[in-house]
Amino acid sequence: MDKQQVAARIATLFETEFEIAPDRLLPDAHLFQDLGLDSIDMVEMIVVLQKEFGIQLRDSEEARAIRTLGNLHDFVFNEIGKPAAGVSADPRP
Amino acid sequence: MQLKRVVITGLGAITPMGVGPGPFLDGLAGHRSATVSMRDQWRHFCNLRSLVAAPGPDLNEKSVPRQNRRSMSRMSFYGYDAARQALADAFGSESDGRDHFSPGRLGCIIGSTTGSPIALNETFETMLPDRDIGKLTAVKFFQCVSHTVAMNVAQCLGITGTVLATNAACASGLQAAGAAYDLIRLGRQDAVLCGGAEELHPSVTGSFDVLFAASARYNDTPAETPRPFDRDRDGIVCGEGAGILLLEDHEHARARGAKIYAEVIGYHTCASGDHISQSNRIALTRCLRQALANAKISPEQIDYVNAHAAGTIQGDAEEAAAIREIFGDRVPVSSLKGNIGHTLGASGPIELIATLMMMRDNVIYPTLNLRNPAPDCDGIQHVTSTISRPMDTFIKNSFAFGGINAALVCKKMISEPALKNHG
Repeated sequence: MDKQQVAARIATLFETEFEIAPDRLLPDAHLFQDLGLDSIDMVEMIVVLQKEFGIQLRDSEEARAIRTLGNLHDFVFNEIGKPAAGVSADPRP
Repeated sequence: MQLKRVVITGLGAITPMGVGPGPFLDGLAGHRSATVSMRDQWRHFCNLRSLVAAPGPDLNEKSVPRQNRRSMSRMSFYGYDAARQALADAFGSESDGRDHFSPGRLGCIIGSTTGSPIALNETFETMLPDRDIGKLTAVKFFQCVSHTVAMNVAQCLGITGTVLATNAACASGLQAAGAAYDLIRLGRQDAVLCGGAEELHPSVTGSFDVLFAASARYNDTPAETPRPFDRDRDGIVCGEGAGILLLEDHEHARARGAKIYAEVIGYHTCASGDHISQSNRIALTRCLRQALANAKISPEQIDYVNAHAAGTIQGDAEEAAAIREIFGDRVPVSSLKGNIGHTLGASGPIELIATLMMMRDNVIYPTLNLRNPAPDCDGIQHVTSTISRPMDTFIKNSFAFGGINAALVCKKMISEPALKNHG
């Protein structure tokens, strides 16, 4: 998946989850200041991105630096390029 | 300490009859039943014997801004809509009411049996297959918590006074009105939006069904159930909706020239302390007597009893015994659950609103489906057809699992001239 495809899928998610019109979803749009998201939305975004791209973001330090939609495109693109994490050593009961 | 007088100045309702108190009253006047078959909708649930319910209307949820809407479930949308109706009723549609109160002086007390049963079921359906917490969304929790309606309504309306959730199953909403009455009487709030809200889910009906307290014999003739006080009653029919009232300090209401539906003159809530599910006539009698004592009136001064009577075998008989003990057969008694089913935590305020409108219109609507009063519900004055007569004072009952009882006494107000304009 190239970065353009990642951006397109994220745009679809933002339209669906946050009801933001496509013409506002520009790479330099600030998630809080321009798109009106808040801290609850950021948690929701993590859950949705994890499901959509099969990645783990909850404990990512790098995710905390995301400010713009372009930052998010880069971050997700890099995450999906990483090798899959190993299976947890602590299996569920 | 001089206690404040408390009046009711705004009403809002979502019922199985529709949006607003008007359609509800029309349904009562037309002797209509809102009970329908749920056989198709609930076919995926096995061992559910009760396949009837009284569903509420679908609202335009998208009219609520997304950042308010995301934490709201169906019951919160109902509560919010009813609260806005109550404010519009009290202040006119151009105002949200907040301008009329000093910061922190308008409260919000709304009860329900649980948090959203739809959200609770979705949460466990999402989490349990893989025991995966990571699949939970950020907002579902806010729909599941017990105070979901109170907090969402308060957030949406920017309310900064006391926010409480009275969670006592079928007495939740009347306890909310009673708590609001106490807060205003004590001078701790100038006004409180109060009431209850509920939403349907087969797990809710199922909870009553496993206790043999839900109606299961009328699945093919839903309009015939529930049957409060009737010989052939077989349990409750779950309904959904919300009833919200604006209770206000009388002086505050009078100063702004408010329309006043009634004065709340008495309230009591107490427990039976002896059985988790069965009503107890001694405790019910004590609750009603204490509410009358709080109102400083005698039973002879009550013109109408709006009964809890949900159509259960045991509960209706106990309530009839308590009413008989205090009022004999002198006072007209009816239950409105024959029309709209049992809206559980919302039933107290929804039926209180209807009773206030009956008092306004000098009319008493009957208990629908009461054809043959049961011998164990005998000795009280059942209303079986519409009565036109003045009503000045009434008592509203709500009883709940856990042996929890509540009763509220209201009296028509003689109109008084408004004081000077109050900001």
